Amino acid sequence: MTQGITLSAPVRKRPGRWRSFGKYWAVFQISMASSLAYISEIAFRAVTLVALMVIFVQLWQTTYSAQANSHLGAFTIRDIIWYLALVETLATSVPALNRRVDGEVRSGDLAYLLGRPCNYVFYQYAHYLGERVVRLAMALLVASTLALLFVGPPPISFWGLLAAPLVIFLSISIDFGALFAIGLLAFWTEETESFALIYSRLVLVLGGVLVPLELFPEPLGSIARVLPFAALLYGPARTIIKFDLGQFGALLVQQGLTLAVLAFLVAGIYRLVVRRVNINGG
Amino acid sequence: MRSYLRFLGGYLSANLQAAMEYRAGFWSQVASMALNDGLWLGFWFLFFQRYPVVQGWVVSDIIIVWAVPAAGFGLATGIFGRAQRLASVITSGGLDSYLTMPKNVLLHVLVSATSASGWGDLIFGLVAFTLLIRPTPFDFLLYLALVLMVAIIFTAFLVLLGSLAFWLGNSEGLSQQLMGALISFSTYPTAIFHGAVKLLLFTVLPAGFISYFPVELLRSFRWPLLGALFAFTVGIAALAWAVFHLGLRRYESGNRLGAQAL
Repeated sequence: MTQGITLSAPVRKRPGRWRSFGKYWAVFQISMASSLAYISEIAFRAVTLVALMVIFVQLWQTTYSAQANSHLGAFTIRDIIWYLALVETLATSVPALNRRVDGEVRSGDLAYLLGRPCNYVFYQYAHYLGERVVRLAMALLVASTLALLFVGPPPISFWGLLAAPLVIFLSISIDFGALFAIGLLAFWTEETESFALIYSRLVLVLGGVLVPLELFPEPLGSIARVLPFAALLYGPARTIIKFDLGQFGALLVQQGLTLAVLAFLVAGIYRLVVRRVNINGG
Repeated sequence: MRSYLRFLGGYLSANLQAAMEYRAGFWSQVASMALNDGLWLGFWFLFFQRYPVVQGWVVSDIIIVWAVPAAGFGLATGIFGRAQRLASVITSGGLDSYLTMPKNVLLHVLVSATSASGWGDLIFGLVAFTLLIRPTPFDFLLYLALVLMVAIIFTAFLVLLGSLAFWLGNSEGLSQQLMGALISFSTYPTAIFHGAVKLLLFTVLPAGFISYFPVELLRSFRWPLLGALFAFTVGIAALAWAVFHLGLRRYESGNRLGAQAL
């Protein structure tokens, strides 16, 4: 005689959206806790940030003292140092996501992760966000302390402050899409570090990490402003420092479009990748 | 001396052959690093043309500030590729296998790996200097000598940072960050720095010797300046050697099992 097993209603039901979200929220929290456990390693990274801030402050002080005008474009020295503090915060807080995904592909760990009751892409996104938030907070603390010491309080308006979480969130989400796609290239290429290096350099140079894009010589400045790299660093930092409703709207469109294209690209690559995964035994 | 040169040559050849096992990966790293350096140089070229912040600086000076440190760093990590991981070799007990070998431990560890991206830096430096500066034969020879000295300074600095692991435990993160800071400071004109930062660049973080001296020497050659750079190079190399061997006395074996193929 066999006895049938009756599933209770909540178990039978497919997990709702909020319960799915709860899983990724838990991954996000664990990732944050794990990053905080290695806070000393993150603090060491501040050495590079301090060096970069010192270099840029001295470079711009020399540049401004060589000019007759107290403004370069729309920027005073205080604006530019705070702008650099923000872009450096964003640029130096990127985790090595591509290296992690690359490692999981090569070691075969990806096959185990695919079997978990969660979507691999969202799992990685939640993990990345947890790590990135801790790094961002630490970098912001160091960069803003230095900027405060060098040029005084930030020239940020109420609207700039209000826009900051949204534009920063979109910026780090774009970064995720690009780095995740680069990591998945490990299925086809011998190594992915070269792609990551070129991507990061394009972001630094064309994203305005050294100079706000409007101070670039023309036509390079105009070209760089419409490229997706501007949506990562220049756009968010410019919006926070010098809020302008029109530019804020344009930035949201640029970030939204970049994110949509990347999401499409990641989904395409991921679908191809899943088809190539072979699981032999356990 | 001759046996050590043969030893270095043998290792270099074996390391390159091992790297070439992944030929596409090796060349893509070489090309991407050369492209990376080219992007930076191109950007600073445009920047300093628009904002001539340093009095008397010309385009060739900006090229030298990139061509010498890039080639020097590339040569250092191309030949002594393990220097960047020295701290983790020490903390993981990885020195055990080198201690039983007849050659000098430090030299043996340093030469036991190569960095593919380092060769990209070296190629970039040589190409940028040759094509953009169009040097006289004397300037080219001077450039090669400067690259060699800068490579020794970078290697010695990496050894000093890596040797901190004998006292501090795993200091790889700190070592990478300080090296990053040295490279960052080395690729800017020293003239933009002043006060305590300038003092720092000629003492603790020797970026001044890596960028200021080569620019000055290639602008107008002076024996005393070359002598000063040579003396500093010998000094920092001797210091790195002494600090590593002092730390080696504190080294405790990790009882690590492993095979050293070379």
